[in-house]
Amino acid sequence: MIHFNDVSKFYENNAALRNVTFSIEKGEMAFVTGPSGSGKSTLLKIIYFSEKPDQGSVNIAGWELSKLKESSIPFLRRNIGVVFQDFRLLDNRNVFDNVAMTLRIRGIDEEEVKDRVMDALKIVNLRHKSDSFPRMLSGGEQQRIVIARAIVGEPTILLADEPTGNLDADTAAGIARMFKDINAKGTTVFVATHNKELYRNTGRRILRLDSGNLAGEELS
Amino acid sequence: MYLLYSLRLAIQSLWREKWINVLSVLTIAAGLFMIALTFFGVYNIDLATKKLPERFSVMLYLNDGLQEQEIDGIVTALKKNSSIEMVRFISKNKAMEELRTVLKNADYVLEGIDENPLPASIEVKLKQALVSVSGVKNLASDFRKIKGIEEVEYGEQFLHSIYSIKTGANTISLLLIVIMSAGVIFVCYSTVKIVFYRRKDEIETFKLLGATRGFIRAPFVIEGGILGVGGGVTAMAGALVFNYFLLHKLAATMPVFKIIVFPSEIFVSLPLVGFMLGILGTLIALGRIRFY
Repeated sequence: MIHFNDVSKFYENNAALRNVTFSIEKGEMAFVTGPSGSGKSTLLKIIYFSEKPDQGSVNIAGWELSKLKESSIPFLRRNIGVVFQDFRLLDNRNVFDNVAMTLRIRGIDEEEVKDRVMDALKIVNLRHKSDSFPRMLSGGEQQRIVIARAIVGEPTILLADEPTGNLDADTAAGIARMFKDINAKGTTVFVATHNKELYRNTGRRILRLDSGNLAGEELS
Repeated sequence: MYLLYSLRLAIQSLWREKWINVLSVLTIAAGLFMIALTFFGVYNIDLATKKLPERFSVMLYLNDGLQEQEIDGIVTALKKNSSIEMVRFISKNKAMEELRTVLKNADYVLEGIDENPLPASIEVKLKQALVSVSGVKNLASDFRKIKGIEEVEYGEQFLHSIYSIKTGANTISLLLIVIMSAGVIFVCYSTVKIVFYRRKDEIETFKLLGATRGFIRAPFVIEGGILGVGGGVTAMAGALVFNYFLLHKLAATMPVFKIIVFPSEIFVSLPLVGFMLGILGTLIALGRIRFY
């Protein structure tokens, strides 16, 4: 589902990723970990076509990144749900509209939008907050809204960038369970985190990044 | 579905940035109003110059002592010419009679003249479509070659001046229209650019969620179109007020203004012109939307 082959990415003269090679199979749940600045976010950005690698080849869900037309990117992004590190919630829209955005962009009928958004909010236990605005919610609630927005489009891949960054242990555990449930339904889940609690004893594959190099791979 | 949502976003944005938008509409209206005035000027100059050829004629002065038969021959030949609308022979006596009528009370200047010094002549009116500086010049040259014609006179300088004024006015108008249109496009461009930058984060999120270029552009294009139409309608209102107060009211007191016409096509086309310029400005402002 996700294949990196000898991928490097440079920002000016600094290497964010250096000769990274790995694969994530369809339906797998895996983690990428490493200290801040190790290249985790860059790696995810390449997967959701926000950054182009400078070297190597990337294949996402059968699409070779180097052969991709820029105009096809929106359609491919619709197969990928992303939980952004900075949430990217729209402050001037309520929770419903924030989640619905994913579907409205695809031109889905408003009746169907309503049903699917409410289903997604039910999964993250925030159905009762659909009329609230993001600034009225706690960090944990905002994170769950972002997860609802990422899964409402029924993506084949779910990416999460530091999904438990500023959350307490209980909320983080709840989010980890949510990812497990989403993966159980067949979605490929790939999480970038430095929170060991998120992957400890999950039996999942862990990729370790260090200064842009893939330092190792293990099972938790 | 998608368009309805884009329309909703456009209206929300118009409301959120209402003061910028009101100022833009007024600026666009001012530009379009000036374009309308320029058209109004060109239209009236064109109308005035179109009426002038109706009065334009070429005078062919005949040699003295021509026989009636020879004169008839010239008149018949002229009447056969497809460029000529009307031919009128003016005898020496008729010419003197007309001169006396023109001079009226000042005909004492003709006292003491025993012999009629005026030549017989033929007045030729040309078909309107053929009245141009080069056309008349060529015909005059042909007339000079006719046996029995001594001199050909036509208001060359006058004709030249009229066409120079017309060409000059057209050129200046075209220049003004281009400048004003560029101004309207620039206002739309700037407004959309400001709104676009204010919504930059939101647009970035849209892109990451899978929005196409069309989805991102649509609300802005609608917004630019609405600004243009708004400016056009305001300019149309201004033109109507101008037409009513300046032309109707002024014409009532000064009849000379009655010949000035404000063509209704200008009123109708202002919102459409505004709409097109608004969309053009928006598309330039949005440029190429990148996903990387």
